Amino acid sequence: MNLADVSPSVFEPSWSDAQVMARVTEVANGPLADAAYRIDHEGHYPLEIMSSLGEAGAFGAHLESSGNRYGLAIDAMRAISRSCGSTGFMTWAHDVCGLYMEQSGNPALTGDLLRAHTLGQRFGGTALSNPMKALAGIEKMLLRATKVAGGYRVSGALPWVSHIAPGQYCGAIAAVYRDDGSRSHEIMFLLHCTEEVVLRPCPTFSGMEGTSTWGVRLDNFFVGEDDMIADPAQPFVARIRAAFVLLQAGIAVGVAQGSIDSIREVEPLLGHVNRFLHDRPDELQAEFDELGARVAKLALTPYDGSKDYLLDVLDARTQGAEFALRASQSALMHQGARGYLMTSAAQRRIREAHFVAIVTPAIKHLRWEMDRLSQEEMPA
Amino acid sequence: MNASTTAWKQFICRACGLIYDEEKGDPDSGLAPGTRFEDIPDDWECPLCGVMKNDFERYEGFDMERQACASVPLARTAGVVIVGAGIAGWSVAEALRALDPEVGITLVSACRGDRYHKPELSIALSRGQAPEDLVRESAADAARRLGVHLLTETFVVGLSPTLHQLRTSRGTLQFTKLVIAQGARPALPAVLPADVCWRVNSLAGWSGLRNKLVGRKRRVAIVGAGMVGCELAEDFARAGHAVTLIDVQATPLAGLLPPLAGERLRLSLEALGVDFIGSTQLASIVRAADGSKRITAADGLQLDVDEVVAATGLITEDRVSRSAGLEFERGIVVDPVSMRTSANDVYALGDCVSMSGMPCRFIEPIAKQAAAIAHDLLGRPHPGYEHVQPVIRLKTKSLPIVVHGLPCPDGTWVVIEETADMLRMNQVRDGAVVARLEAGSLRQRLAA
Repeated sequence: MNLADVSPSVFEPSWSDAQVMARVTEVANGPLADAAYRIDHEGHYPLEIMSSLGEAGAFGAHLESSGNRYGLAIDAMRAISRSCGSTGFMTWAHDVCGLYMEQSGNPALTGDLLRAHTLGQRFGGTALSNPMKALAGIEKMLLRATKVAGGYRVSGALPWVSHIAPGQYCGAIAAVYRDDGSRSHEIMFLLHCTEEVVLRPCPTFSGMEGTSTWGVRLDNFFVGEDDMIADPAQPFVARIRAAFVLLQAGIAVGVAQGSIDSIREVEPLLGHVNRFLHDRPDELQAEFDELGARVAKLALTPYDGSKDYLLDVLDARTQGAEFALRASQSALMHQGARGYLMTSAAQRRIREAHFVAIVTPAIKHLRWEMDRLSQEEMPA
Repeated sequence: MNASTTAWKQFICRACGLIYDEEKGDPDSGLAPGTRFEDIPDDWECPLCGVMKNDFERYEGFDMERQACASVPLARTAGVVIVGAGIAGWSVAEALRALDPEVGITLVSACRGDRYHKPELSIALSRGQAPEDLVRESAADAARRLGVHLLTETFVVGLSPTLHQLRTSRGTLQFTKLVIAQGARPALPAVLPADVCWRVNSLAGWSGLRNKLVGRKRRVAIVGAGMVGCELAEDFARAGHAVTLIDVQATPLAGLLPPLAGERLRLSLEALGVDFIGSTQLASIVRAADGSKRITAADGLQLDVDEVVAATGLITEDRVSRSAGLEFERGIVVDPVSMRTSANDVYALGDCVSMSGMPCRFIEPIAKQAAAIAHDLLGRPHPGYEHVQPVIRLKTKSLPIVVHGLPCPDGTWVVIEETADMLRMNQVRDGAVVARLEAGSLRQRLAA
């Protein structure tokens, strides 16, 4: 009898790591693996699977209410991404959205809504790609806010936000401007996709089509205290930034692990020629183990606010992206024509790995930030 | 043709990077070729991502020339990778190339990597030298001469010894052997803010300070009267600046010298115009509106100066070594013969290492360490490195000081000779002489 058979049907924070992983793996290797092609090729947005994953505990482990088990949250994301990178990415978006809500300390966001979110009964993602780059000095903030009675009015457009839909929500950041046009600070809020929010279909991407990704436009949209995650936003972002980035490592190692699976799968058939390839499975497995061990250690202290810790996290995240690229490339080489079939997981993972490498923070942004953090500060 | 009236402009979408070119227009959304940006209706959307016209801004291209880095394209193949382009890093490159004309060498440097002799930084100002005078060979020239692939202005961000993988801010390198020559960085106590206090531990740091001091008389406070602090105090005073040297100890160089010798050093510095303030703990340093800095000591003393220099010692950066699992104890722990670290195929030398728990931050051992590493790494016979405590020479011309051996805190100093021009002392512990010092001019010593 396995652990999942004796536990209650819906996740509770008291569940052990093993219970959560047994449940999550069951969904990931079963219904999710079966749906991966539909998600990737037909753009199927798998909310029914996300619900099962929520019940299985995939979205709650990292929260304070579950004991800040970041290692478990990352491991669940790994197991999910091993079957489907798109769903792994949505798991990350869902996880950080839950993190924003819980860490906000706002009673309107930490009660029933967070509970429903954690269990996969409500869904929401994150619109922090542009703000994260803006706060790092890479680009300009796209949402602008002005102070009004009881809150703010927000206008502007974000090009692509994932894991949202009418009735869902996402964490967002806007720059606040004073009446004289000068910028005062930033606010972070939970943006509910009501009818006032214009969701615009995006152009077709080469992958990640099942992630319900939309362009978002706000026109004088009111944000009140009940939706406020942090005002000002910067100290909040500084506190959660390492955790935000570290969680993404789960997608990277999952895609890489799925790639190693694909290589091993054809070893009995093609091993006699595949031995002439580089990035062989044992080599990739060694890096998977090494990176996994470092990530697991970093996951023990997600709120360590030191510069050294942030650098360690950015380094591991960068390595994860490079590793996913290499492993997925190698999987296709090992699979040959099989892997080149449109139905093959190997070619899908190449696109998933590319996504891991370019999603914010992309490899280039990570290196930009590590360079900035490593510079020796001198008097002006 | 009149460029000012006909030049087409380009505008970039801040969200997705699409470029609207006035010349081409955007026929798909009804903008004919030649439509000026200002003539586009305000409700027009980015054809790629759908943000609005006001999310576009003028695009004038990116000036690659301005951003050029001195790197040459990198051969992404395994070979020897050296981290650090100070004396230690270049010494290893020299030693390797002398033994093997073929072995692939990549050198990664956080700075520009030009070759200079760091000890000269503490005497260069009074000699009237400029940064370019101190560069003995540019990094590019040295790399060409030695056949080294060079990655400058590149930070090492991660190391995985078992994977033979070194991660940098410009990409990941595979190595067959790695040599860490990262040096040490100034240790800044919290009371000395990095954006207020200069540090003279690199050509770049010295150059920034020099720019503030050259051509005018400035008030300079040097915090820390160790070797570097004392040498800089004399150098800056000789260059005409008003120097205050501050230390927590009662005499300069108290970590090395007994009070009798420290007192002589103080007098010789004061004779040059240096104001030594001993037994003083700082409470704060604040930049004033006029750019000057106000130093406040714990005992209430206040001092206004133009520049502050921190000379409060060095520490070895440990993040990368520790996360790579290298043994670390005040420095990267190395075997004192082979200079190997605790990880296979990883060596270290120079200011960043520790032997028997002690760093040894002098120039003299570096060439010997580099030779030992080059031989061991290439599998050539060599007796290895033999650690000998270097002779310590203080570059204070007014009172040259030479220390043989390593003074220990619990030894007893005995006067051997004490004249107006020369002080000789021995430090004795358990009946044996553990250190000798001479404080006096070379002329006097030769005559003696």
